[in-house]
Amino acid sequence: MTVPTDTVVTTRPASLVDLLDRLLGAGAVVAGDLTISLAGVDLITVQLRTLIATVREDR
Amino acid sequence: MTGTGTYMYAITRPLPESAFAEVPGMLGSPVRVVSDRGLACVVSTVDLADFGEQELRANLEDLTWVERVSRAHDDVVRSVAGLGTTAPLRLATVCNDDASVQQRLRRLGGRGEKLLSVLDGRDEWGLKLLGRVAQPMAAVAASSGAEYLRRQRDDFANRDELSVAASRRADDVYTFVATSAVAARRHRPQDARLSGLARPMLLNASFLVDRDEADAFRRSIDAVAQALPPDSVQLTGPWPAYSFTALEDG
Repeated sequence: MTVPTDTVVTTRPASLVDLLDRLLGAGAVVAGDLTISLAGVDLITVQLRTLIATVREDR
Repeated sequence: MTGTGTYMYAITRPLPESAFAEVPGMLGSPVRVVSDRGLACVVSTVDLADFGEQELRANLEDLTWVERVSRAHDDVVRSVAGLGTTAPLRLATVCNDDASVQQRLRRLGGRGEKLLSVLDGRDEWGLKLLGRVAQPMAAVAASSGAEYLRRQRDDFANRDELSVAASRRADDVYTFVATSAVAARRHRPQDARLSGLARPMLLNASFLVDRDEADAFRRSIDAVAQALPPDSVQLTGPWPAYSFTALEDG
């Protein structure tokens, strides 16, 4: 029997933040001759955070 | 940078390119399939004016661009996942050309198949746990300066106690939910400025769950939610297995 609760499942659209957790923080890494190394993921994440904070303030 | 590169979305088992005839690829580019023996990579040709190393760094500063590219990547990955077991690649993985993608697949060989077999019949689910907004007592009108300082000291002590308790609760929830999953992984809690949430995020985790066991997994989340204040739990999914495809560089 399924017990009703307040756990709401969000399927789609996914929030951009949830998506970025997965697209930048995870995912298979296959070395390529031109693979853009996301070794700087932390850096990029920080930059995005600054950017998004700015966007929010602008609103 | 001029010229083109081959953008890689995901690794899967060989499948016909015609399956993607209707799927819009990255920045309007058609979706194609590069295969080598038992492995395939779903790709698009992209302009290095967008995806060259310097250009990419600049583009990643542009939230509109990041969102467009992330959504396009996710849309293609989800359509691959609709056709068969899928190991998604990170955003903006670009090779020189199809031949080098094929080389990568060959080098990946058995490890690629091994990864796909781990992901067979499984989906990723996301779980976030939200804490309480701290209510400082010092702000409540104090009868004297000393009283104010005492309350402020208590607030600091309370905050520490609360944060220790909260992080222990997050650990407990993570461990409990992981027992209903094949694999589990924690992401960094989202910054409030990004999530737009007033409440602090205590846990941001992903779980790899057998599709056949999805109901049991959902019940374990329900059990967690019922033991906590309302709206403390956020569940997202099913996702393609983004968080469970880490491969060693070959």
